[in-house]
Amino acid sequence: MENGANSGSSDPSSFLTEIIGAPVKVKLNSSVEYRGYLISVDGYMNISLEKTEEYVDGKLRRSYGEAFVRGNNVLYISAS
Amino acid sequence: MTSQLLPLELIDKCVGSRIWVVMKGDKEFAGTLLGFDDYVNMVLEDVTEFDYSGSHTKLPKILLNGNNICMLIPGGEGPETTES
Amino acid sequence: MADAGDGDTAAVSEPLDLVRLSLDEIVFVRLRGDRELKGRLHAYDSHCNLVLGEVEETIYVVEDDDEEEETVKTIKKQSEMLFVRGDSVVLISPQAAS
Repeated sequence: MENGANSGSSDPSSFLTEIIGAPVKVKLNSSVEYRGYLISVDGYMNISLEKTEEYVDGKLRRSYGEAFVRGNNVLYISAS
Repeated sequence: MTSQLLPLELIDKCVGSRIWVVMKGDKEFAGTLLGFDDYVNMVLEDVTEFDYSGSHTKLPKILLNGNNICMLIPGGEGPETTES
Repeated sequence: MADAGDGDTAAVSEPLDLVRLSLDEIVFVRLRGDRELKGRLHAYDSHCNLVLGEVEETIYVVEDDDEEEETVKTIKKQSEMLFVRGDSVVLISPQAAS
């Protein structure tokens, strides 16, 4: 990414721009987990993902081509 | 009373250090605090996620939603290493 | 940056764009409380309030039987048209007709 000089510390919004396009893991408060490629995120932590896999208790339950996840359900977004 | 430290200033002092985050539910996280915003959404590195079941998961770098954070403990390494 | 894959994703610059691109298409919606919907997306807003037509709702109910074994029962319901309040939405996924 262009802000390589700032790789040591990052605030939430620069972390998000940094991981756009990358494979990510999104964990919900319900402990359901989504893995996919991050298309975009907004200020509510609404997320859109590509090639999404949905895991429940570590087991693959479903796959989606593209998926929108409503931000209020999100516990964390992890670079994977 | 000149040395009043605002809560968010305390968190600001933790940037770059290890921090222990206790969520409202059963979850806890320990990691290096890289940054945070006004909602206390936090970017953490070298994270361990402590589950209610006692299992822990390592995560390289996460953005933690501030919505469900209950308590922040500077220097904390999670529930395992509380004995000193 | 995002890989410039198919033309669809190029038009997505915020997450809700994915929902906008699904207007008048069939979408899969996961709701809180183990409920799923599949139907045609007629309208949505920024809260994720939705209007769906030709809807099939699937509800998963866990039942304890006599031997304390849990079986998951699925209940299906059809509706011509319904409104979904946004706060119960977990996920929306376009179901490309394939």
